[in-house]
Amino acid sequence: MLNAIFYKEWLKLRLYWGLALLIHIGLVSYLLLSLRSTLHTSGVVETWATMIGRDVLMINTMMYLPLVTGVCIALCQWLPEMQNKRIRLTLHLPIDYTLSIGLMLLCGIAGLSVLFATDAAVMAITQQFWLPRELVTRTWLTCLPWYLGGLIAYSITTWIILEPQWRIRCVNLLIGVPLVALCFLSSQPASYVRMTPWLIALLIVTACLPAYSIYRFKLGKQ
Amino acid sequence: MKIIKYVEIALALIVAVWLLPALYELVFPRTDNSPFVLYSCLDSTFIRFEYDNKDMHYVDFRGQEFTKAETDSLLPLFSFRQLVAEGRLPDSIFGIALTPKLIQQNSFHFKTSPKQLNKTPIGLYTLLESASGRVDLQLPPDVFRLTQEGLEFINCETNSINRAKSLSFSRELTKHGFSFPVQLIWGNASTRKDYDNGYLLTDSNNRLFQLKMVKGTPWVREINCGDTEINRYVQLFTVEPANRALVGLVVSEDSQLYAVRSNGTLAHIDIDAYDPQSMQISIIGDLLHWTITIYTATDSRYYAVDANSFKQVAREIVPDPELPLSRRIEHCLLPIRLRFNSWQTQLIAPNINND
Repeated sequence: MLNAIFYKEWLKLRLYWGLALLIHIGLVSYLLLSLRSTLHTSGVVETWATMIGRDVLMINTMMYLPLVTGVCIALCQWLPEMQNKRIRLTLHLPIDYTLSIGLMLLCGIAGLSVLFATDAAVMAITQQFWLPRELVTRTWLTCLPWYLGGLIAYSITTWIILEPQWRIRCVNLLIGVPLVALCFLSSQPASYVRMTPWLIALLIVTACLPAYSIYRFKLGKQ
Repeated sequence: MKIIKYVEIALALIVAVWLLPALYELVFPRTDNSPFVLYSCLDSTFIRFEYDNKDMHYVDFRGQEFTKAETDSLLPLFSFRQLVAEGRLPDSIFGIALTPKLIQQNSFHFKTSPKQLNKTPIGLYTLLESASGRVDLQLPPDVFRLTQEGLEFINCETNSINRAKSLSFSRELTKHGFSFPVQLIWGNASTRKDYDNGYLLTDSNNRLFQLKMVKGTPWVREINCGDTEINRYVQLFTVEPANRALVGLVVSEDSQLYAVRSNGTLAHIDIDAYDPQSMQISIIGDLLHWTITIYTATDSRYYAVDANSFKQVAREIVPDPELPLSRRIEHCLLPIRLRFNSWQTQLIAPNINND
């Protein structure tokens, strides 16, 4: 049964995962190529001096991509389920409904985590040829809240879509948007080091929220 | 499911205590009316430059107001260009013959704030060549990092460690009694300055050193503290004033500010206390005096010290004005105010009621 749920999610989302991977690798490649181009045109010494002296990492184009991906994947995963209330079929499977919804949610979070980890790995592996480890780590520390923002945006979008009542959906939206914005308060490199544990806690909390929406759905709230 | 419902309510409350004060601040923006203050050596008092959204007023702490021309005359070492243009620059001041060049060479400006200091350090440093024989400073082909055993220079072009240079600089430091690892380090790697004072750094025994690169080789000296006993340094700054009289400024654990003279000695600057983590400092120095302004969370402190001996010649402490009505209303309406940005740090972190 569990494998069937995973397979269904794979069939439903594989096209979107492929598209997301393509866009992410495309943007990461663009960032790496533009860094390489800057190193060649401005000179390695000058580029390093700018990165160290002015604390510039040249990755800000990446900032909102995880957020957009998280929202899009949630829309692609959950909107078809809510059309004509197809999700009822999932809720009537002979397993606990929180488990089945939890597994579907896990598919999304795990998929996004793999996607973001691929981004970070490609970036770090390539950058280490051109940059010292301190700048590679700093790039990773700067991207981390953006990736967490993408995962939180996915959980919150799921929470909003699964909510059966429009009135409550609007309230959830009002609460959810600022929570996602918490991950994007500063573009200053490595400025989220103290905030990261709080964002991880927020991710865990927001990942539990869809359970309440689906509980209300099961109760028949309209 | 009840727990999740409570979690939803808690999240809504967090959003409310964060966004409502932010919205309130948008409607009733905070105004910072801290005046610019300079010490007048002729009047032996501080003169405030106060802007009232319309005109600039020049007032001393006794309440006496001056015209712009009078202020220029009272601050000849600050307004010298205006005085030269008007042909009013005095020939001498306290027996010192004045020339624009002399005044300019002895002008000194230093400013920093907790927000500039409280950030995640990069851990890479650029050591400029301080005696290249050229007028302009050039970027070196490498940067260095700190390790437990010494300094490690990384060649930018190859992104590999220059072992010979690393060993040479680490050995030279050790030869001068430096005990690794480095505790604090500060340097200004900008090439947009007249000369380079290298880095000030403290070792594991809390001794203060200066490191420069002279013709590609290390140049090290220990700063002589004299009779001053400093348990621990908490902040170092290098400075490069035009008169080359100073190497840097350092702050001790007990919040005392010291100047590192270019002869390698330490001199206490006679002000009450300066905590770099929570106070903003501005120093405007001239041939005769330094005007030191320190902004704390509760007051503004103005000091004038002698530019050579650093002995205090004047001091004014001005408590912050009472909170405006809009702020008092805010504190009543919104007793819990959550912020993630702070004027004291670049790091994002939750702060409650830290206005």
